[in-house]
Amino acid sequence: MSGRELFLVGLSHRSAPIEVRERVALTGDALKGALQELVGREGVAEALVISTCNRVEVLVHARADGPARDFFTTRAADASSHLYAKQGKEAVRHLFRVAASLDSMVVGEQQILGQVKEAYGVACAAGSAGAYLSRLCNRAFATAKRIRTHTDIGRGITSLSQVAVELVEKIFGDLAGRAILLVGAGKMGALSAKALAGLGADRILVANRSADRGMELAAQVGGAFRGWDELSRLLVEADVVIVSTGADRHVITREMVQTAMRARRQRSMCLIDLSVPRNIDPACAALPDVFAYDVDDLEKVVASTREARQDEAVRAESMVEVEVDAFARDGQTRAALPVLGKLRKQAEQIARCEAERTLVHLAGLDERGRRSVQAMAQAIVNKLLHAPTARLKKAAAAGDGELPAAVAELFGIEDEPPSAAGQPEPAEATAAAAQIDEPQAAPLTSGAASPPVPR
Amino acid sequence: MSIGILRAAAALYAVSAAFYVAYFSRPRHPRLAVAGVWVLAAAFAVHAIAIGAGCREFGGREFFTLRGGVVLAAWLGAGAYLVLHKLYRVPSLGAFVLPLLLVALIPTTIFDPAHPDVPPELIKNAAFHVTAAILAVALFAIAFGVALMYLLQEREVKGKRFGALFSRLPSLDKLDRLNQRLVRAGFAVFTVALIAGTFNAAVVWKSPWSWDPQQIISVLIWGLYGAMVQLRHRGWHGRRYAVLTLVGFVVLAGAMAALQAFPGATRHAGNYGVVVDAGGAQ
Repeated sequence: MSGRELFLVGLSHRSAPIEVRERVALTGDALKGALQELVGREGVAEALVISTCNRVEVLVHARADGPARDFFTTRAADASSHLYAKQGKEAVRHLFRVAASLDSMVVGEQQILGQVKEAYGVACAAGSAGAYLSRLCNRAFATAKRIRTHTDIGRGITSLSQVAVELVEKIFGDLAGRAILLVGAGKMGALSAKALAGLGADRILVANRSADRGMELAAQVGGAFRGWDELSRLLVEADVVIVSTGADRHVITREMVQTAMRARRQRSMCLIDLSVPRNIDPACAALPDVFAYDVDDLEKVVASTREARQDEAVRAESMVEVEVDAFARDGQTRAALPVLGKLRKQAEQIARCEAERTLVHLAGLDERGRRSVQAMAQAIVNKLLHAPTARLKKAAAAGDGELPAAVAELFGIEDEPPSAAGQPEPAEATAAAAQIDEPQAAPLTSGAASPPVPR
Repeated sequence: MSIGILRAAAALYAVSAAFYVAYFSRPRHPRLAVAGVWVLAAAFAVHAIAIGAGCREFGGREFFTLRGGVVLAAWLGAGAYLVLHKLYRVPSLGAFVLPLLLVALIPTTIFDPAHPDVPPELIKNAAFHVTAAILAVALFAIAFGVALMYLLQEREVKGKRFGALFSRLPSLDKLDRLNQRLVRAGFAVFTVALIAGTFNAAVVWKSPWSWDPQQIISVLIWGLYGAMVQLRHRGWHGRRYAVLTLVGFVVLAGAMAALQAFPGATRHAGNYGVVVDAGGAQ
């Protein structure tokens, strides 16, 4: 057992205002540098930094969380009051919840998993992620994926522009060969138009009272500017109309739509009103083949999604709990396995030495006899270790960490000292942890306390 | 026809329908829809064997009754659905079409089929006419299912109810286009069937037009669907078109049922033997 533990120190949208978050957030090379600095610190074996617009969290596999705290306090002196710190199982749970988007501002949003994966990628590139973190992160990713596939946490729509896209998709399928008309220069309108352009719209038309602003907006959304007086004619051309102006009356009236529908030969039209007060006459919704929605309609979809996700989150939490326990058990098993390996190695070494010593005095023995002596020594070791091996494996599987520790103590098996320099190589460390059934015949000074094992 | 084989086919259709309905209620398990297709293909094959056995045994006479027509329509409908599946992949359609098919097919599996005395040369002459007419009916039936889906989806989208149906049904545009294609294809096949029937009548009844009730109804229905094809060209689509498709099929099914209610009114649907024999005796 290494004596190291997982520590997590961080701040998020729940604990800290944006002013603090933006001062500690890091990307690119600065992030890499920070990671290298972290693992350069005394007692820190591995480090991971998750830095998104909503959270900055430092995870270290270390002896204490001091270095992780310093990460924040050196960057923002007032950060310490916003920090939360977790360790061991708590920290594991937190990471699993973050990756599964249970701690997100919008529960179930998709980006966070990608961001955590990216953070892990950066840590790998910086050489700060070793065997422990890779095991931890892979488990977190698998958990998040499981939750996403087995619950409805990622289902539903969480933003207004997404609702607009979904609606338009249900009406038109895609927008190939169709036109979007954006009326007014509201921010939500531009966002929605951009989102809708993703459905493959042929062209975006922008109508605005002020030509300057209109042209600017047209350039921004990749559309063509049209004069305000053309509006009625544009309704004939466009299949999706997004209205987002500051006007306090109906910019698009029922009569305008009725006339346009006749000219369109009743081709379906989708009207989305993002303005408050409304700019599209609500009576338009009653016209055949006209699909009209206002902000409230879209808002309702978002709210129902939020509600549904809260329910799903409860299910997801219990899945996280199962995974956290499994991870902890797995860790204990892995902790027990090296003890077992070393115990066996040590015993075999003794058996070999004693056999050799005996054989020196039995010079007349033929090859078959020599082999018999060696086999006998080995058999004694096997018989003696059979029960302890079985017990150790069982204890490890049950998550009992005490027995391996007791065995280590009893047989004088030394703990691995903390690596003085650098980080463990992931592959090597994993191999060491996994190695039980094939103990290598490495030279081991039997009985004596072993020196730091070169890894 | 071997009723046993037909019953086996009906059982397979029921399993396929169950898979499709299950898929519809749990759209996150696309394997259910895949299972539905495979079972449907098996049902189609078994159904084909049943029809083949029927033709071998009785020379296809039983398909000159309404009951036999329904058996054939269900088979052609299943085939058309499999083709649609290949072309458009609208798995939720199965949940609408297969129950419809099952409801039509189940009554035919209860009793042994009647074998009216249809002259073999009539069967030979009219086989194409009958098959084409029934295929057209099957296509109109599928269009009915699609139109139903359209109206349900339209109600959800327009009524701002973004519930279960909303996420399960394909886009309105896709349903509308599918509906239009089915109506158009059905109309084309129906036209061919009427032309063939006219020739058959000219040969068998010695007159292409004899004011037979089924002739009259067929022409009316042909006109109805023809009008739908025309209206489409004039820009009709969406809700109005879906309603029209529903009305068209209800009229068609109603007329077929009405003809059945007055046995002997038409020389179609099982009465060929009587009339043609009488004509032959003259």
